Amino acid sequence: MTTAQPWYHLLAGPQPAVLVVPGSMLFALDGDAFAALDRGDLGALSELRSYILAAPVGPGELPPVTALSLNVAQACNMSCSYCYADEGRFRGTARLMERDVAFRGIDWLTANAAGQAVTVGFIGGEPFLNRALVHECVEYARTVADRAGVVVRFSITTNATLLREDDIRLLRENRFAVTVSIDGGPFHNRHRRLRSSKESAAAAVSGIAPLLTDPGGARVAARATVTRNDLDVIARLAWLREIGFPEAGVAPVRTSPRPDLIFREEDWPTFLENMIAAADIELDRVEADGQPFFSNLWVGLREIHRGAARALPCGSAASYLSLDAIGNFYSCHRTIAAPGFDMGSLDYGIDAAARRAFLESRHVDSQEPCASCWARYLCGGGCHAEVAAAGCAGCDYIRGWLDHCLRTYLYVLDRHPRLLANGDR
Amino acid sequence: MNQKIFPRNLTARAAVRIAGNPVTTRLESGVGNCFPGLEFDHRNLDRRFFPGLVFNFGVAPPMLAATDDRDPALADRVPSDAPQLSTAVTNAFDQLGQGEWRLTSLAQGGRTIDLQALANTQQFDAASFWRLARSLTREKVTIVLTQTPPTASDRQRSPDDDASPTVPVSLTLTHYRRQYVDPDSGVISAAYLPGELTQSLCSPWMHDFRDCACNYWASNHPDIALGADESFPAEGPAGADPDLAVRPLDWLRADRDSRAAATDSPGGNNAFRLHHYQINQEWTSLAFVLEGRENPGLYAPGFEPLAEPFPNAEALAEELVSLCGLEHVVLLEYLYAYYSLKRPEDFANPRNSADTLFVRHELLGIAVSEMRHLRWANQLLWTLAQRGLIRDRGPALEPGRKVPTANGERDRQLRPLALPALEDFIAVERPSGTLDGAYARVVATLRAGYPEPLLQLARQIVAEGMDHYNRFREIGIVLRSWPGVRSVTESPWLRAVQIGSPQSAGGALDLYRGILHDLADAYRRGDMEDAGKILDARQQMMALDEAAEQLAANGIGVAFF
Repeated sequence: MTTAQPWYHLLAGPQPAVLVVPGSMLFALDGDAFAALDRGDLGALSELRSYILAAPVGPGELPPVTALSLNVAQACNMSCSYCYADEGRFRGTARLMERDVAFRGIDWLTANAAGQAVTVGFIGGEPFLNRALVHECVEYARTVADRAGVVVRFSITTNATLLREDDIRLLRENRFAVTVSIDGGPFHNRHRRLRSSKESAAAAVSGIAPLLTDPGGARVAARATVTRNDLDVIARLAWLREIGFPEAGVAPVRTSPRPDLIFREEDWPTFLENMIAAADIELDRVEADGQPFFSNLWVGLREIHRGAARALPCGSAASYLSLDAIGNFYSCHRTIAAPGFDMGSLDYGIDAAARRAFLESRHVDSQEPCASCWARYLCGGGCHAEVAAAGCAGCDYIRGWLDHCLRTYLYVLDRHPRLLANGDR
Repeated sequence: MNQKIFPRNLTARAAVRIAGNPVTTRLESGVGNCFPGLEFDHRNLDRRFFPGLVFNFGVAPPMLAATDDRDPALADRVPSDAPQLSTAVTNAFDQLGQGEWRLTSLAQGGRTIDLQALANTQQFDAASFWRLARSLTREKVTIVLTQTPPTASDRQRSPDDDASPTVPVSLTLTHYRRQYVDPDSGVISAAYLPGELTQSLCSPWMHDFRDCACNYWASNHPDIALGADESFPAEGPAGADPDLAVRPLDWLRADRDSRAAATDSPGGNNAFRLHHYQINQEWTSLAFVLEGRENPGLYAPGFEPLAEPFPNAEALAEELVSLCGLEHVVLLEYLYAYYSLKRPEDFANPRNSADTLFVRHELLGIAVSEMRHLRWANQLLWTLAQRGLIRDRGPALEPGRKVPTANGERDRQLRPLALPALEDFIAVERPSGTLDGAYARVVATLRAGYPEPLLQLARQIVAEGMDHYNRFREIGIVLRSWPGVRSVTESPWLRAVQIGSPQSAGGALDLYRGILHDLADAYRRGDMEDAGKILDARQQMMALDEAAEQLAANGIGVAFF
């Protein structure tokens, strides 16, 4: 099975390099070494292979769950055109999580985290539709974590249109990682509508502005969704930067109730060009002011720097689970109520067998086209929810983007190594 | 390799072991932590125990070495009387700059120690005075400094003073003992200049490098090393002294060109070593030692033999089974050759006796080493099987039928140790030959993510294979220079032994089969910790040795196959 797996990837160009796939090790090459590897010289390949030390990436032991997102509101005050979550209802009826469910979820998390720091996430829908519960959960989680002797962190994903002063204070004081769903650019208002059909940009900007001005302990980032009818990246980022976000990332629509918004094969090359152009602009700017902004690029570079090699795309079902409004566990916040992604419930406990089976089935080495792709350990196989719904799409784009990141990494490592070391919180 | 590849990201950097830097050079491997004081010299801290003054604790009583008007402790505002005490100290600087001053008294907490009186008893060495200063607390301390009397030559230069009696001049100063380390930050007092705390420590490449008394540096340099490669071309005319390749040289020898073997005790080598002062001047002539060998020139890293890994674990296992057969058949050939040799006591000539003793010892050593390889190769197999990486094949204890040669292979043969047979033995063990090449592929495969112990085991087999080659060559040198031998057909070291029939050597063969049976049982369990069967096999090996020796004395060789 392993014989056909590519174990290295050559990068031609002014600075030739090679990525050794196991361990995600990156080596710069001189011209002779590149030529030798390129023609498959046995000696050169053997030397390169000799650096592979790590055991093959495997699912290994199930890690303890250290992050749990609470779907405190399976409802939303917006009705975005591309929403994967069915406007927060996840194909059910709109509902809010009750305090008992949320508190039991927090109890379960702190009790099962094996003493490690835990993260309590708030998700929806729009979590601030259940504002009181968010505030209560923060206080409760602090108390419980104190008692258990573990560190607790908080995260939230919000559209920012409902933020009030007390919410801002909560986010600041509790050092929230705040992800704001906001698209930026001229298409924002076209896709992101309030239920009242009103445009949402002004409400979102005025909602988040106080936190951008004074984030306190919070870390704020914008996450923009790119639809196939507006593949622009540069203008979005410029707009979000103008608003005052300290960092922003983009993600293409791969699944949506509206098929006309989903990326098609012909869209990926254009999107890749746009991403690379945005990355180049970003790099020019960062060389001048030293302030990384475009998170897709910097997350990529830092992962390459660390030599991140993962068999799965994220911590979903491994160290991360999501709890729906009525107390069922799912692999993540995107798979709420989706068949095949349920992982047990507060009443009946976690289904360890389901977690393991899920992770093993999604291991990049055990599925195609991942197993025969050089980028498998950097990519991780793509979002579970999206792959389940729409299969692997845009793999050439991902390889192209990673290829660009690898080259950019070599450049940044030489000139601005400091930028690769920070950024982790 | 002429090409270069450069590790860039963190995992790549971690994977590349820089050839030439053994783990003992890493900080965490240092024995320094076992020797408190080797990080810095405590005496260098204490010599500034009194603000503004620097003492030399190398003499008794301690001598004032310098005054320091830039000492930051003189600017301390707390305690409240500190500024006033500092002023008194700085006011004395001019006077202290004249002549030689000794620290003659220490007083703290109502106790006074007369250092001069202690020195006069001559029962205290200089270090004792340092310990006294070291035992002062952070409180106020009063010291007495006494100017030593001017010498006769000084007096000649000052005729005016001729008549005056030499009354010692004393100065009394009080201050707070220095706060060596800031209690909050742990920062060492800024009075100390860069490098000051490590002054006087023993240093590499200086004279104490030769025989540092605490074995600190001594443990960080090699005692012996093999000579540089260029002094020993593997083949060719210089082969006249092939022993050079394995001759240990004293690394610190003064005559760098000497190829005399080091003796087995440091004392024996001392007379020929670089003297202490020579090390200071000639340390650059000491060669770096890499992989146990001196490298006077540019080091070219020797990667493990480049070899194509097997495509998968099953292919690896198939090769290991075949290697087990090969190890097994050659060990039988070596054993047969061993029993064909006369015993030392069969010779009247002491040189012949000594040579035979050597050859028998070496050959048996190689055969035993092959037995170990057979076991290790089986261990690779059973470990891979136990970890579910290959299907279980059971023990591999069937001797092979063919043996590799320099250019192909030959049928297995039980032969006495005549020179042609020896040439065949050398051929099979030749580095980069068939056996070596096969193991290189095993190593290359195991490097790619298999459990580390398996890789180490395979490397050990490769390393010992190299050793076999050298030992066979040494046997060749001894046999070829046997007095009176003029042709390869003459072998006066051999007994007249013929391969015996199954009947004539039946007892020995039963023992051999019994050994295989027990080994098979033990290997099947794959657990050497619980190996009664191994013990049984060993005992039968002793018995087999005795039986085979007896048979050979009667002209019968054991027909192992």
